[in-house]
Amino acid sequence: MIECPSCRHQEFVGTLYCSECGTRLVSVSPVPTVSIARDRIDREAMATKPATPEGPELESGAILGLRLINSGEIRSLLGRDNYTLGRSVEGQAVIPDVDLQASDAYEQGVSRIHAEIRLEADGVYIVDLDSANGTLVNGKALEPQRPALAHHGDIIQLGRLRTQLISRFRSER
Amino acid sequence: MPGEPDYYALLGIPRNANAEQLRRAYREAALRLHPDRANQPGDTELFIQVNKAYEILSSDEQRSAYDLKLAAAEADQAARSSFRCDVQQSRRSLLQLDEPQVHYLLVDITPSESVPEHRPPINLSIVIDRSTSMRGQRLDQVRSAALTILKDMAPGDSASVVAFSDRAEVIVSPDQAKDMATARARLSLLQAGGGTEIGQGLQLGMEELQRNFAREGVNHLVLLTDGRTYGDEDLCLSLADRASEQGITINGVGIGADWSDRLLDDLASRSGGNVIFLDTPKVITGLLQRIFDGLSQAIAGRVRLDGSLAQQVDLRSSFRLMPDPMPLGDSLPLVLGNLTRQGRIRVLLEMVIHPIGQTDELNIAHFTVSGDILGGTSEASSLPVDVRIASARQPDPDPPPGDLVAALNVVGLYRMQEKARHEAELGQSAQAARRLENLATHLLAAGDRDLAKAALSEAERLTHTRRLSIEGEKVLKYGTRALLLLPAKAGGG
Repeated sequence: MIECPSCRHQEFVGTLYCSECGTRLVSVSPVPTVSIARDRIDREAMATKPATPEGPELESGAILGLRLINSGEIRSLLGRDNYTLGRSVEGQAVIPDVDLQASDAYEQGVSRIHAEIRLEADGVYIVDLDSANGTLVNGKALEPQRPALAHHGDIIQLGRLRTQLISRFRSER
Repeated sequence: MPGEPDYYALLGIPRNANAEQLRRAYREAALRLHPDRANQPGDTELFIQVNKAYEILSSDEQRSAYDLKLAAAEADQAARSSFRCDVQQSRRSLLQLDEPQVHYLLVDITPSESVPEHRPPINLSIVIDRSTSMRGQRLDQVRSAALTILKDMAPGDSASVVAFSDRAEVIVSPDQAKDMATARARLSLLQAGGGTEIGQGLQLGMEELQRNFAREGVNHLVLLTDGRTYGDEDLCLSLADRASEQGITINGVGIGADWSDRLLDDLASRSGGNVIFLDTPKVITGLLQRIFDGLSQAIAGRVRLDGSLAQQVDLRSSFRLMPDPMPLGDSLPLVLGNLTRQGRIRVLLEMVIHPIGQTDELNIAHFTVSGDILGGTSEASSLPVDVRIASARQPDPDPPPGDLVAALNVVGLYRMQEKARHEAELGQSAQAARRLENLATHLLAAGDRDLAKAALSEAERLTHTRRLSIEGEKVLKYGTRALLLLPAKAGGG
């Protein structure tokens, strides 16, 4: 399936105009969006107990960051109060602030603009941006477009890609 | 084609299929069609044919002999055919995917140069709704329009006028139509009154056409109505199917806002005709004259697109773009109507192709274009058309043909309008209104301000009254359909 960039309606590969909103789909990448069976995501996520990250992660100097569970890589989030997470595709107009393409994002079912991390006065929020395969926090699926409070150490799963939130903000503050 | 059934199309495999592909296709077909399984009628016959096909194709010796015969038969038929057919595809190669994909074909049918041009005899029946609502200007205009057409008749032509309310009668018989004074007197007897039963009118109109059926000419029924028929829709549809079998095309003309556009569309689409929406009766004469002129320019009639699709291919929808835009069905054969010397019949096919695995080439379809050459001595002609496509791991980098993109754009707008109407009927008026606003944006981008305005005002009406106006529905439907008549913007037509 491919996704209409304007209304996110799913169409078969090869479709030239979105049947929902009439948008021309020619410029959309002709490769299908990877869909992952729902139950598999949930099972994997449920099996994961969020481990509180210890010293080394925080010593990276990040006030806010994402640790990619598979590779251990840490992406620090600095200088803004919101970050979009996703993957870049050649020729894509809007590139996410945190580009996960190098981490096999496509194969892991990450949408191009998948989710957003927002810093608010009362803590860090995760918002799923109508992604194809959903966003889970500690194994719980987020409702699209509804911000959910997240805490240090929470497992944030984009499609099948697991990351852990590193945050020095105290949401209880 | 005479004598040589196409075994490749039967098994849904490319002509260059290897032994493995052949075996797999045969097994699949044999399993599906095996008499031990619960089957549809006709499956057993297919099963026998599939076995015969496998027997021939699995033997190298028999297969090469068969290939030669098949190629010769097809080349011979193509050379002798009075039709030319050109197929443009949305992509030059399919992707080797494990999921379905969409593929579009733009099929152009034109006459070959060798077809002689004769004005074909016209066998016409004008079927007039004389229900009470037609009283006054509507019936006056229809009466004078009918008279104008009768005046234009050439010697070999035949025409009749039938009127119906809840029953039908012949107002002007083909014999009376030959004499203008009689025809005029008979038409003046035509008075409004009664209900609307389209089936009655259709039936009598078709009987009149059969009486003077012109094998070497066009047989055409024009149905003028301003109202809904009650309770005889099924009769109407079965009559349209019969008309299609007999080679009669039905043209629907809807006057005002109260007629059933869905029924008329269905009648016309089954029989290869067209539907026209008139908001004022004043233009009826001009309209009938255009229809009549169109008929006199036909050089081939009863044109059809038939054939078989590969097993992995489903026809999802089809749309005739030329000469008159008309949504058609999702199964072959497609009934296409008449072909003129300068004109062409253009059809857009949307197909879903199920996972094709690793095959290098897919024989998407084996079509047969058929029809009758008109004028002089009528003769049937047909043309086999093979549509194949390569498949690749990488997407085809070339853009799709401009004509096809332009047509799909407009067909997309047409479908949005259909969806909005459907949603409005389901009570999802907010969604329908949003869709119409979206449609208006696209219409503005396409430069059609009037239609955009109509879409917006219907969207507004939806938010207030939760329904569309019956007139607005038709304005949008036939308005977006008529956009297909405009010269294509992308790539030129």
